[in-house]
Amino acid sequence: MTSLKRRRTGLACTLVIALGACGQERSQRAPRDSGRVEIAATPVAATPPAQDTAFTGTTAVTDKRRAGPPALLRAVSFVSSSGYDRIVFEFAGDSVPGYHVEYPTRPVVRCGSGDPVTVAGQARLLVRLAPARAHDDGGNVSIAERESAPGLPAVKEMKLVCDFEGQVEWVLGVAAMRPYRVVEADGPPRLVLDVSHAP
Amino acid sequence: MRARIAVLGLLAAACRAPPQQPDPCPDPISARLTAVPSSSPYDSLFVAAGVAFGVPADLLKAIGWVETRWQMVSGTEEFPGRPAAFGVMALRGAALERGAALAGVSPEAARSDPRANIRAAAALLAELAARTRGDWTAAAAELSGIDLPAGRAAYLREVNRARQGPAAAAAVEPCPPPDPGPDYATAIWRPSPNLNQRPADATGVLHAVIIHTCEGNYAGCWSWLVNPVSEVSAHYVVDEDGSEISQLVHEPDRAWHIAAFYDCTLNKDHECWLDGVQSNHFTVGIEHAGFASQGSFPATQLDASATLVCDLTRDRGIPRDWQHIVAHGQLQPENRVDPGPNWPWIGYLHRIQAACGEIVVDDSARYNDPGVAAVRVPGDWAATSPTPDYYGGGYSWASTLPGATDSAVFSFRLDQPVPRTVEARWTSGSNRSARATYVIIDAMANTLGVATVDQTNGGGSWQPLGTWTFPAGWNRVALVRDAATGVIVVADAIRVRAP
Repeated sequence: MTSLKRRRTGLACTLVIALGACGQERSQRAPRDSGRVEIAATPVAATPPAQDTAFTGTTAVTDKRRAGPPALLRAVSFVSSSGYDRIVFEFAGDSVPGYHVEYPTRPVVRCGSGDPVTVAGQARLLVRLAPARAHDDGGNVSIAERESAPGLPAVKEMKLVCDFEGQVEWVLGVAAMRPYRVVEADGPPRLVLDVSHAP
Repeated sequence: MRARIAVLGLLAAACRAPPQQPDPCPDPISARLTAVPSSSPYDSLFVAAGVAFGVPADLLKAIGWVETRWQMVSGTEEFPGRPAAFGVMALRGAALERGAALAGVSPEAARSDPRANIRAAAALLAELAARTRGDWTAAAAELSGIDLPAGRAAYLREVNRARQGPAAAAAVEPCPPPDPGPDYATAIWRPSPNLNQRPADATGVLHAVIIHTCEGNYAGCWSWLVNPVSEVSAHYVVDEDGSEISQLVHEPDRAWHIAAFYDCTLNKDHECWLDGVQSNHFTVGIEHAGFASQGSFPATQLDASATLVCDLTRDRGIPRDWQHIVAHGQLQPENRVDPGPNWPWIGYLHRIQAACGEIVVDDSARYNDPGVAAVRVPGDWAATSPTPDYYGGGYSWASTLPGATDSAVFSFRLDQPVPRTVEARWTSGSNRSARATYVIIDAMANTLGVATVDQTNGGGSWQPLGTWTFPAGWNRVALVRDAATGVIVVADAIRVRAP
């Protein structure tokens, strides 16, 4: 049984994932060492202000490349603030990986099968993390919840579409194309992606 | 759980090793298992719970039979992390608690009271069926908690049999054929569930080999690719030092290793009719433990990989050249670079050719293994590449000219006297010679033969010139341009192989 609960910590929602004997389609495919796996993101360091009227973002491509060993993605959390939705990618280790964020023009596909992926909302925001992975050396997931439907004002749905050869890709279903911004944070290393509610 | 394991074990044993039966896959259920009684001690409870939660009562009854043979069990934890089972329906852990909550009964009652237990299972099944859009089979599979696809299938066969009788079970879900093991004999067979069928049309014909790097170590690589959550796979994974190869997907099946849709401009304009076709359809994927960023690859890893590629290209009729053995990053440059800039492509092709016992001599020296292949293309010949499907980086051509003596000469070295078949490759066009002449000269400068071919056709593949016994040393094949003017001859490459 997988349950997706929301724990209110101020405005923050945290994914709490429990794997059990049975569950919905995605979660039943999780590794067999079932039990309760809790992925509790630490609170976002920069707690969103109540009103961020000075949101400066972009709808263009952001591309930050880094080398080195793959960073282990260990938690993803989301929160809605006044003015934007915030997605936080948290990594084990000392630093964040490189990242590539864009509203792609070509269809989003799973990087292994090439199967097309659909998400709720009119726009798709692709977030590629590299070098990164969301599984350990034993072939077990480090992020059990690989699809979720936050249902936030801007971010409607999130799907992990690639975890292969040192690349992790998420596609976000966004209500419509909205400016976004990416901020790097440390302690623990995180990438903070804000998606504006306003055009 | 023990009962279920016993049943699965029985199924597996029956499917893999049919005891002296001509049918390779006998119906193990009717052959070996006792008949399902028509009535249970809990029939009225199954009916009542079915009505209450909109679940087929016969499905509840069938699940109860498969799980516990209709006994009220009070299980213990058999494996760490797998909670104990309770009641007729063998509910466990979080599932039991969820079902109890949905059914409005206490978890304690759901463990110990048959009515509460069956109601909890019914309520849970109804919830699962809502997620599966009313697919009760899928809901029952979810309820089973079994992850392994083969285990799920076996479980559903059991449920189906209990529900409908032995004949129906066999008809609906035939016993899977015995696992055939790897295609590559020395590989360790570690089957991945992450595959599907190649298209039945021409786009599904095996046509190319894609070379990858794992971006990680060997064990981590294959163990992730066999995890159904990963939704990725490859046909093969070669370890760091070439001492072990895992096969995860059979070559005829479609593994999930490349996202790209084919674009022939990324592959020397080769087979442009495949443009837009999903590249998994027609490729075999080989992962290599390691990183695209590493400075070099161990020779032992390259050799093991090359021996594998020789084997599979020979078995599948895939040409061993630059258009058919390609990098993941070449076909998917927007976000992949593997196997990286330091993958020794030319030497790797030479290893593959050596493993297959063949020597290729290209018109460009840089593509040749200098130990066994050499070329001399005179100055009046031009190097170019507009017509696709050449070997290496292009081809050379010259206009025919009566009396010309400047032949293009391909030389190959043999260690000992052996018979060898010589093939030539060119690119076709209407301006080519219909009587292009190759002269075969051995290491003692004896002319062994002359072969004439029509270069207006047959380009892009190896065309036989003939078979001769060559002495040890450097033997030669000369393409001559001494002919009536008006056409050109194309010197692309020759291949020398065992007859």
